[in-house]
Amino acid sequence: MLRKEIYFILGGPQGAGLETSSSVLTSAFTSEGYGVISDREYYSNIMGRHSYIHATVSSIRIPRSLTYPVDIVGAMDAETVFTHFNDLSKDGFIIYDSGTENTKIQQVISMEKEVYERIMEFLNKNNINQDIKSLVNYVEKNTKITPIKLDYRGILNTLRDKFSINSVEAQKYKSSILIGAVAGLTDIDSQSIATGIEQRFKGKQKIIDANKYIADFVKETIQKQFGSQLKLDHSSINMDEFIVSSGNDIVGMGKIVGGVRYQSYYPITPAADESVFLEAHQAISVNGKPISSIAVFQTEDEIAAITSAIGSALTGARSATATSGPGYSLMVEGLGWAGHNEVPLVITYYQRGGPSTGLPTRGSQSDLLFSLYSSHGEFPRIVIASGDNMEAFYDSIDAFNFAERYQLPVIHLLDKFLANVISTTPLPDFNQIKIDRGMLTFNPKVKGAYKRYDLSSPINERPALGSGVVMWHTGDEHNEYGHISEDPNNRRAMYEKRMKKLEIADKEIPIEKRAIYYGDENADFLLIGWGFVKGVALDAIEELKAQGLNGAYLHLKMFIPFPSKYVKGILDKFDNNRVIDVEHNIMGQAAQTITTNTGYIINKFILKYTGRPIYRMELVNAVKNILNNKSDREVLTYGE
Amino acid sequence: MARNWSDYKTNSWVQWCPACGNFGILLAMQKALAELDLPPEKTSIVSGIGCSSRIPYYVKTSNIHTLHGRPIPVAEGIKLANPEQTVIVASGDGDLLGIGAGHFVALGRRNMQIAILLHDNAVYGLTKGQAAPTLPLWLKTKALDAPNIQSQINPLLLAFASGYTFIARAYAYHVDQLKDLIKLAINHKGTALIDILQPCPTYNDIMSKEWYEKRIYYLTSADPSWDPNISSQEDFDMKAPKILDKMTEWGEKIPLGIFYRNISIEPLETRIEKILPGYLQYPPAKRPIDIKSKPIVHPFTEFKDRIVQT
Repeated sequence: MLRKEIYFILGGPQGAGLETSSSVLTSAFTSEGYGVISDREYYSNIMGRHSYIHATVSSIRIPRSLTYPVDIVGAMDAETVFTHFNDLSKDGFIIYDSGTENTKIQQVISMEKEVYERIMEFLNKNNINQDIKSLVNYVEKNTKITPIKLDYRGILNTLRDKFSINSVEAQKYKSSILIGAVAGLTDIDSQSIATGIEQRFKGKQKIIDANKYIADFVKETIQKQFGSQLKLDHSSINMDEFIVSSGNDIVGMGKIVGGVRYQSYYPITPAADESVFLEAHQAISVNGKPISSIAVFQTEDEIAAITSAIGSALTGARSATATSGPGYSLMVEGLGWAGHNEVPLVITYYQRGGPSTGLPTRGSQSDLLFSLYSSHGEFPRIVIASGDNMEAFYDSIDAFNFAERYQLPVIHLLDKFLANVISTTPLPDFNQIKIDRGMLTFNPKVKGAYKRYDLSSPINERPALGSGVVMWHTGDEHNEYGHISEDPNNRRAMYEKRMKKLEIADKEIPIEKRAIYYGDENADFLLIGWGFVKGVALDAIEELKAQGLNGAYLHLKMFIPFPSKYVKGILDKFDNNRVIDVEHNIMGQAAQTITTNTGYIINKFILKYTGRPIYRMELVNAVKNILNNKSDREVLTYGE
Repeated sequence: MARNWSDYKTNSWVQWCPACGNFGILLAMQKALAELDLPPEKTSIVSGIGCSSRIPYYVKTSNIHTLHGRPIPVAEGIKLANPEQTVIVASGDGDLLGIGAGHFVALGRRNMQIAILLHDNAVYGLTKGQAAPTLPLWLKTKALDAPNIQSQINPLLLAFASGYTFIARAYAYHVDQLKDLIKLAINHKGTALIDILQPCPTYNDIMSKEWYEKRIYYLTSADPSWDPNISSQEDFDMKAPKILDKMTEWGEKIPLGIFYRNISIEPLETRIEKILPGYLQYPPAKRPIDIKSKPIVHPFTEFKDRIVQT
């Protein structure tokens, strides 16, 4: 029977090429018309700790979420087998290395103590010896799972004769063993795999050829022995082309299209990849002719990152900085200066697990309240959040438009989940993209001393620094010329002028950029979420509908200015007992924000704060528990 | 018609204490700008926080009064986005060498064309006289309860170690000599530091006008053959020991003048141009990003390699 969707995990030590497997397979499935979403879970480590790819491939839609159990576990090493055999579906496949058969769990020194104890408990309870061979025997006897044993060393050794690649170098090709295994079970065309490999290793012919060889060899071996038992149905998605990208990269693309001309950063996970992407695109050319350049500046710290972006923004260049929680913590004084001086500035904020260093490589949505209230004093800011790649692309452009139109800092919230997930995204609609530079001018009409903060309007003409007028900017309270003034009347007028801009933004920015309601008139329960929750919430709603439960999802995108009236209107249509907040934090921060802005109190929560994404099956289950009055608060924990 | 120094004056009341060294620095700055005939809108003085950081309001150029310790990165952002802008950082010793010391060091690695005027009075004036990073060990100025137990930073050595390519020391009341140094610093193709010794008549009762004037001397008057100019690595190897010797001289004698001027190190602007040809011709701030509100960059041509056909 052909599959509509398949789910798989590929695991191995960090640094062993799992990213390659993910990117090649995503391209390959996509080029056959399937939709893919592929998450990467990894430790804060360069080499050796356990990492894995977790993917959904679909023939019926562009997948938006991840789920368990999976159909395939592809293991580069013994740790993957021990850690993930329990993630397999009843009739799944586990691909493992015959060379690890005698490896005991005690020998897996990279395994965390807590994981080890959890697995030992399972092994002891089921009287399984502590090595891979015994575990595989147990699985074979007690389940319908098919173990696929491959001689990794033998396979990689063939590279020595065919491509004169020595056995140390050959280790890098393990990723293609897993690619071949997945391709074999799902019957992906060799040509699609070849395209994926070529895209990944642009122009490095020997590496391309060797990877293709390994992938093809494994694919054939598996198909001969096991057939293509997970063959996917023909895709019914019907699209000619997709962008295959991580969230980091698509934000970079959005910024470039949106006209970024300055990006500062201090290296931090999970934000740095975006800046690295921009570094590769610093030269802006049209039809091969250079027309402009982006200054990408690696600073000595995040304080310099934000303050240098402020300096750049004053010159009229669209300026941004990208960071994560610890870096943003350092930026907040600069944020206040930008708000006070009406500087258009974009801060792209990839949330990770906090506080402090927290879980540096794991996802979280625990910085919403921080982004709303950070920095001393009161000043206007706009805070937006993206839920998927498509939103992230448009939002990266909108962030600049809002920043320049309202002359204020814009915080664009993303999270580690989106940053590292590689997925297929339909091409954005170019007609929808507009550049709005607000009142920026390079040719101010007035000459000489200039009223940059003219009180006759909340939003003034904004001459670029250096363009014909003399202006002053200061972090002190200032008068219309930007000179210090502590006069109470001036203070009141300037304070109100600045804050007034938020009222204008609230009136002008269309609701579809601020909150989106997914559901029909008859929906009788409501999930509320933001950011990466979007995909899994929509998929869960769909699955619940198939089970006879008709729900809706309210997706929050703009937190300042908050779409209070619209949100309140939707909330009031539902029974309060059937309104459920879904977030990646412990406090229910979006729910608190709703209460602050609308007075509406949410009493049901589904929360996850393990650093791993919310999976479809656990969300579906949790929603049912709440709707059946089994609990008011579900805390999700699935995933290694 | 060339500009006069008074063309760079503003109407603001200058609110420093009587006899503050900042007055000399302000006048020297205005004179230097006038002699260089710099267009006010194309010149930016960027300051931090403190008494000296009020200087932007007294000079009629397009100026920025930033956060405590942060004038350098703001100046860098301006210069990177618009290399045509003349950028001068004027700030105190506490601002540049205390809270902002990391930026002071990092700027040297970049050697961007930014002139740093370090107002060095060894105290935090605006908060009533606490010890600043340049106050010598065991000195007890009048605002201190006990003698200073932290050693002083040598700004010249710190700048030298960090990669500054123009390093000078001046005295705030010697306006003409200071003016000449400021002109050279602004025109230097790289990062320039002028450590400007200035009495704080209100809080530093030890390092007073008399204290300084007993000690200061000019390198060139003491040694007419003094040559701080470096144009090659060989030159550097030969002259560096003597330069370091003079930089470390502090006590009974305090030398003034140019200690070090290296024209063999290229500034960041030139380095960027090497990896990004066209950067200086098409700097970030200077080019349009849209045509009638449509982006200049079309996503599907720029990112072709990310598009997968089915």
